[in-house]
Amino acid sequence: MFSFKHEWIEKNVGLLAVATMLAISVGGLVEITPLFFIRNTVEPVDGVRPYTPLELRGRDIYQREGCYLCHSQMIRPFRDEALRYGHYSLAAESQYDHPFQWGSKRTGPDLARVGKKYSNEWHVQHLLAPRSVVPESVMPNYPWLLSTPLQYADIADRMKALREAGVPYSLTRAEYERNVKKFGPKVAEELSIPDAKENLIKQAQEGDYDGDRSNITEMDALVAYLQMLGTLVDFSKYDNDHFVKDR
Amino acid sequence: MPARGMAWLEWFAHPENTKPIGLLIFFILFCLILVYVYGNRQRGERLESHKDIPFLDEEAEEKTAR
Amino acid sequence: MAAAGITTSEQYDYEIVKKFAIMTLVWGMIGMGVGVYIASELAWPILNWDIPYITFGRLRPVHTTLVIFGFGGSALFATSYYVVQRTCQTRLYGNALANLTFWGWQAVMVLAPISYMLGHTQSREYAEMEWPLDLLVEVVWVAYLIVFVGTIMRRKQPHIYVANWFYLAFILATALLHTFNNLAIPVSLFHMKSYSLFSGVQDAMVQWWYGHNAVGFFLTAAFLGMMYYFVPKQAGRPIYSYRLSVVHFWALSFLYMWVGAHHLHWTALPDWTSTLAATFSIMLLLPSWGGMINGIMTLSGAWDKLRTDPVMRFLIVAMSFYGMSTFEGPMLALKDVNALSHYTDWTIGHVHSGALGWVAMITFGSMYHMIPKLWNTKLYSVKLASVHFWLATIGVLLYITAMWISGITQGLMWRAFDDFGNLQYSFVESVAAMHPLYVMRMIGGVFFLSGMLTMVYNCYMTIRQGVRETGPAGVAPAGA
Repeated sequence: MFSFKHEWIEKNVGLLAVATMLAISVGGLVEITPLFFIRNTVEPVDGVRPYTPLELRGRDIYQREGCYLCHSQMIRPFRDEALRYGHYSLAAESQYDHPFQWGSKRTGPDLARVGKKYSNEWHVQHLLAPRSVVPESVMPNYPWLLSTPLQYADIADRMKALREAGVPYSLTRAEYERNVKKFGPKVAEELSIPDAKENLIKQAQEGDYDGDRSNITEMDALVAYLQMLGTLVDFSKYDNDHFVKDR
Repeated sequence: MPARGMAWLEWFAHPENTKPIGLLIFFILFCLILVYVYGNRQRGERLESHKDIPFLDEEAEEKTAR
Repeated sequence: MAAAGITTSEQYDYEIVKKFAIMTLVWGMIGMGVGVYIASELAWPILNWDIPYITFGRLRPVHTTLVIFGFGGSALFATSYYVVQRTCQTRLYGNALANLTFWGWQAVMVLAPISYMLGHTQSREYAEMEWPLDLLVEVVWVAYLIVFVGTIMRRKQPHIYVANWFYLAFILATALLHTFNNLAIPVSLFHMKSYSLFSGVQDAMVQWWYGHNAVGFFLTAAFLGMMYYFVPKQAGRPIYSYRLSVVHFWALSFLYMWVGAHHLHWTALPDWTSTLAATFSIMLLLPSWGGMINGIMTLSGAWDKLRTDPVMRFLIVAMSFYGMSTFEGPMLALKDVNALSHYTDWTIGHVHSGALGWVAMITFGSMYHMIPKLWNTKLYSVKLASVHFWLATIGVLLYITAMWISGITQGLMWRAFDDFGNLQYSFVESVAAMHPLYVMRMIGGVFFLSGMLTMVYNCYMTIRQGVRETGPAGVAPAGA
């Protein structure tokens, strides 16, 4: 080892490549791999569940329109953010998010806990013409959401892909039972892939998100998604600093 | 999700452990590189001799110009 | 002429370099044009025109992809193929493979923006391409690695010049990052949509490990390779310290990969990770500044060139911006500063001081040096290059000043409390306060874009002049 000469590396492109790979691999290995193994990276908390079929389609549309480029979904543990947006975001709350939508920029406000803060009607109006409800807004209008029927023929395929990635959508009876144990029967029902289409239609009609029960539009899906954001964890059940130890 | 037997990794989850480790790795490496590169006159001169490589291609160009 | 034997165009494969150089100009023009447009959309939202394909959310990835991968990527292909041939004094390896990298890369640059406008996106910043395009990029990248390494293996002398180390590190790191960040499960074989393999906190970490190292290796290491060749060439003197460049290389390669998590300060990412990232971000200042000093000091003893040579001015100003943004970066990586700056326009300003000030400026300088050489002629107009220099410099300064002010204003307004402990401003008041600054940013962009257009014209005339002098085949007529 002592006779090592840097000259070897300078004269051998193979060695140079290997040495470079070593140098650039350390950082990622040390910082990323432990996140998959260290237990309290994702803290245990009640209430977080995968998305229902309709919410999932809404989330797809949220991604498609690039909402994440102007809206974060990650509330930081500061007093002003607590007042403006609510309890800081937990890792557990995005554990089923493939991909994550934490965002990096707030041209518009954070949306991590926007669910249930406004009415469905407000959301529809705001998405159609943001400046009709918030005059200073710079958000684009999204009129096509209301006029485009939601495409959900492939909902089962989408859920199957997510199941491959580790989301507990159930395909078999055994998986369904496991979900009943973990999330309760009501949620387990929603996570069943064979029933996805019916569940989607049912939620859209019962929720009446876009104010028109006669058809299911992209607006239905997006509003359903927005209205559940940040609503899964009941923070009144936990002490103020319950989650601090896991940070 | 967390595999059994991986508990030792928790040690790394505390900045008070990882921060000095990171600093130590960096500092030792940095010193080693400095000593290696600047600590030996011969090695230094050899390295500096390569700085003219970008100008070796001029000859070929002059040939074409003529 | 005939007696001299081989010409440079026979000794080196310039065709592929020329093609990439031209596409650098094309994508630069389009990418920056889209940038100005989306900047205008933020100032005047009516410009979204209720057309789904051109809303800010869909066009922003078009802008980032075209400037980073179209403009920057083509510039890197062009210069790396040029530099590796000339510093190894050998012809490029693998003609067909090199052509594959050209056509493959251009195909990605055409298909990716179209797919974003149609709504196909992985919604991962700077990695929005869906899985079929990711696979195409992967193929191109492997071909690139083979061509590059193959050429180095043919070199005429034992030592590999340091610029090639930086290019090699960029190719390897990009392969690594691209592969892991794009692990996803497609909905089906005939479906553009895919879902990321990772979720939540792990996904965020992988994405920002990618995101920041795209900056570190794509937009920094590779452009440093450019610096280590073109600065000495244009200055007519060797690099200030070759030893420093070796330290620069290893320190930069090792340290960069640790810092990505500083994009996730105060989030649900564990504290240990972001603290580690912050620590390494500070350390990164050392190699960054070492490299900058190495570049700038190359000119020591020939400072007068700055007065007379706009190309040199581009290169030096690029290195100054590199120094400035690599100082700003570690500062923004401090948790307390980040608490204010994160989520604001300050980050956007920081990115652009690096992207416009460093990446684009060093590219302009290198292209002004290389294009006349490729077509075996002189630059059409030095004066126009000087005009370009001032347009670009004023443009960057307007841009980053606007973003500093808007970023800090946002950060302060969001955390302002009144005497009763309530939030002083509603969110939308901060949006309204941004309007004049967004206009100013747009004007800065217009300056920068018009500079780019003068460059396109200047280079077009240079190439035409070169073709006229030497004939389309690049062979000088007998009398010349």
